[in-house]
Amino acid sequence: MIRRVDTDVVVLGAGPAGLAAACAAIESGARVVVVEREERVGGILKQCVHDGFGVARYGLKLTGPEYALRDADRLASLGAVVMLEAFVSKAERTDGGCRLACVDRSGVVELTAGAVVLATGCRERTDRQVFIHGDRPAGIFAAGLAQYMINVQGLLPGRRALILGSGDIGLIMARRMTLEGMEVLGAHEIKSEPSGLSRNVRQCLDDYGIPLELSSTVTAVHGSRRVTGVTTARVDAAMRTIPGTERDIDCDTLILSVGLIPENEIARSLGVPIDTATKGPKVDQNMHTLAEGVFACGNAVHVNDLADYVSESGETAGRSAAAYAASRLKTGGRAPERRLTPLDAGPGFLYAVPQFVDLAAPRRGELAAFYFRSRATETDGAVVRMSAGGTALLERRYPALRPPEMERFELDTDAIAEAIAEGDTAMPSDRRITLEMGRRSAL
Amino acid sequence: MLVIPRRISHQESRPREPNARKAAARIHRLHGEGIAVSEARGSIRLEGEAASYGEKVAAGWTAAGFGFKGVVNDIVVAGVAEERLESPAVSDGLLEGAYFDVVVIGGGVIGSAIARELSRWDLSIALLEKECDVAVHTSSRNDGMIHDGFAAKPGTKKAAYNVRGNRLWEPLCAELGVDFKRPGSLVLFRSPWSAALYPVLADRARRNGVDGWELWSRSRVAAEEPNVVADQHGGFFLPSAGVLSPYKATVALAESAMMNGVRVVLNSCVTGLDMDGGSIARVLTNRGACRAGVVVNAAGNWADVVAGMAGDRFFSLHQRRGTDAILDASTASSQRHILGMPDFLRMHSRTKGGGLVPTVEGNVLVGPTASESPGREDYATRPGELAELEKHIRINGELSMSQVITYFSGVRPCTYEEDFIVEKSDRVANLVHVAGIQSPGLASAPAIAEDAARMAVEIASGFTATRPRSGWRPDGPASPEPRRLSPDGRNALIERNPAYGRIVCRCEEVSEGEIVDAVRSSLPATSLDAIKRRTRAGMGRCHGGFCTPRVMEILARESGVPLWAVTKKGPGSELCVGPTKGARS
Repeated sequence: MIRRVDTDVVVLGAGPAGLAAACAAIESGARVVVVEREERVGGILKQCVHDGFGVARYGLKLTGPEYALRDADRLASLGAVVMLEAFVSKAERTDGGCRLACVDRSGVVELTAGAVVLATGCRERTDRQVFIHGDRPAGIFAAGLAQYMINVQGLLPGRRALILGSGDIGLIMARRMTLEGMEVLGAHEIKSEPSGLSRNVRQCLDDYGIPLELSSTVTAVHGSRRVTGVTTARVDAAMRTIPGTERDIDCDTLILSVGLIPENEIARSLGVPIDTATKGPKVDQNMHTLAEGVFACGNAVHVNDLADYVSESGETAGRSAAAYAASRLKTGGRAPERRLTPLDAGPGFLYAVPQFVDLAAPRRGELAAFYFRSRATETDGAVVRMSAGGTALLERRYPALRPPEMERFELDTDAIAEAIAEGDTAMPSDRRITLEMGRRSAL
Repeated sequence: MLVIPRRISHQESRPREPNARKAAARIHRLHGEGIAVSEARGSIRLEGEAASYGEKVAAGWTAAGFGFKGVVNDIVVAGVAEERLESPAVSDGLLEGAYFDVVVIGGGVIGSAIARELSRWDLSIALLEKECDVAVHTSSRNDGMIHDGFAAKPGTKKAAYNVRGNRLWEPLCAELGVDFKRPGSLVLFRSPWSAALYPVLADRARRNGVDGWELWSRSRVAAEEPNVVADQHGGFFLPSAGVLSPYKATVALAESAMMNGVRVVLNSCVTGLDMDGGSIARVLTNRGACRAGVVVNAAGNWADVVAGMAGDRFFSLHQRRGTDAILDASTASSQRHILGMPDFLRMHSRTKGGGLVPTVEGNVLVGPTASESPGREDYATRPGELAELEKHIRINGELSMSQVITYFSGVRPCTYEEDFIVEKSDRVANLVHVAGIQSPGLASAPAIAEDAARMAVEIASGFTATRPRSGWRPDGPASPEPRRLSPDGRNALIERNPAYGRIVCRCEEVSEGEIVDAVRSSLPATSLDAIKRRTRAGMGRCHGGFCTPRVMEILARESGVPLWAVTKKGPGSELCVGPTKGARS
């Protein structure tokens, strides 16, 4: 017999986002079921044995497992139902919320819930997605996969590695592999500046004498059974390889750290609109997507550089999903009204999240968190200004802005609502919220 | 698809009386005086030096136009070393002293299909494959298309086998439990000029005996395929074109053969053939020498080398690389038919031009390219090839290069006549050659197998009683695919075996139970790639990023090897070099 379980909130994924969402939803009074595909909760944090987690959230430098354990313990004490090694094979929205078909070792479970929280994280871009050529020998690993092998499975992926890309996981793996006795020949980044955090470049490459080659890429992999080497080449400003700069390097391992992609296959099947810039669902400040009853958080929404912010968005999503499910129960199934106002981020930004602010009452003067990344590196004092209805609400000067480093600020949503109400509502442009970047405060 | 005569002036269809003097004159005129032309045992042989592989191949094509039995092209290309068949590292006496009525060399789709056909007979049969699995080379490196047969040149073996094979695949797949779909192929016209060629196309389809063809108007095309570019002028629709998974089909054929008594010996490479008078007496391998009543040469890109081992090298193979790209599964709904928009002026008998193929698994495959390139097993992709594929992607407005999840190359084994060889050797009494099986070889495989098996049985009847095997069964060892069951069926399956409820590859929704089945099957998967071919674990959009460690664990556990000994594709392709410091202590 197929089991049927009804609950208020289903959380998909038990990494830092899902754990925080589940805890917050239960603390808000909801019945919660967590669906996790792995055998343990904690997500990718389980394999992150380095420290640096929790500085923003706890004022502590924790390792990944330590950080995850805090949320896992909290969740256990709250008595959540967690389905482990469980997989969502089908997801659909219904009049009452959503229905999910899950599969685990006990069979097929049909879950119905008033709200769903997508905390599905992200995946690594592969060698084929960055168009590396050659045969397909063993020895090419995405950085996170190599991290899992070394830190969880106790396996050494090779002896002599070259890293393509300079994402944070790749930088951290440069250090980790060195400590495990591997020779790390260098990290090659196709862009003219690193993709990872500056502190990781210092602590993981510079401190170990590992060269970072900017404007350089891998054009071919050699070997048919195991990697025997790679060809690197320098690239011009348009990222085209410069003929004559090719160099053959002997190595048995190629580690790729060339970007992360939010995992949104379930979001798509639920009809959730996706932002082409973040590659995650468009959300409001409550982490509510544009599909009613579907919430999203963490790296499924946009790739964060700190787990602390992932947890923060999870807390918001869990709290909001619980409130949403409760409100629908109270009103006999009617979805609470939303008044979504778009946030327009100017050309200086790679993206800004949330993409919408819901101005429907009641808001109780709550602070909403905003995250953004600049499109380019700005080192001579960029000024970021947020306005609503033509009124400036926040202006902040940044000594430096770098695309790899996400910025965050908070704003009172009441202030936004008031500014919009005061604006000339006949002018559609005044009903928008804008985020602009300039050199001087006058913009 | 259409042969424009002026493009193939070097390949005339009218058979000629072989004339080495005329051939030499033409070859000297077109390719230089430095090439020595001789006639050897009915074949024409070329020797000398060429500046490039392309020139060597071009000389071979010219030589093919003079009606000889075959072209032996021994032209040396500067910088291109003669390739040697490399034996796997394993060396034992597994086959030493064994006797088989028939030895089939090569575990591709052709060898596997022949072995299965032969298994209908009460004979002792061995299938020797040098790799650690079947379908490792060309049979897993193609677009999976079962062509309609329209593109082949009328009167060739290719045309006849293709049309016959197309009809045989669907019932064969039903027997084996392998998916087969018949989306049909839509050849789009890029200009009113090409649309005007319809009578020529229809005539050709008629001559080849193709099962059905239709002229589709511009508006019909737009209605059937709304995502196709507006700049089309109707199309030529061939409803019989199908698709299947070439590696799954090959594995199923080999497993079906095994269920009917065929011995499949992997990691065994033929290193020589011991001749006794005009017959092969013994087949030498890295795993010992066995005696054979009949030998079937289905050695793919090495078939000319194997023919040479028997002193019967009457043809040379040249290699035509092809690259395909696979797009994300989300593209599946963007087109219903196989689509191509060939430039009829640039098409010839060596390539059908490629296109967009909706695969049986629900991705869109783009390709293949076609380029003459040395390297019998050179599967390295080149940057320019993807740019070439982009032109196909533009046919369907819903597709873009950003949807590419992977790409791969394959190598077509081609004779200079650009036709198949399916015949008994005329020099060696107990040898059957099945060579030059380039595209549409997959489509033709079941028909080729019928004929090749018949030839082998005819030879075998000279030394043993040949009668049908009693209790022959047509099916393959089907293992369940939980994702395709109804919720109730899936639930019941998981209740019987919880491993079917643990999803290991989430992109393709593959369970632990299916991977265990692959490792425990009669033709066991022993590497990550072998598991991929059987179950699709690791073939999705994350391309193994998440499931690789889990598949490694299952493979290590089920086959009793340490985790770090797990390979991607057999010995020498170990994924790891050993345990970490911490794991050692």
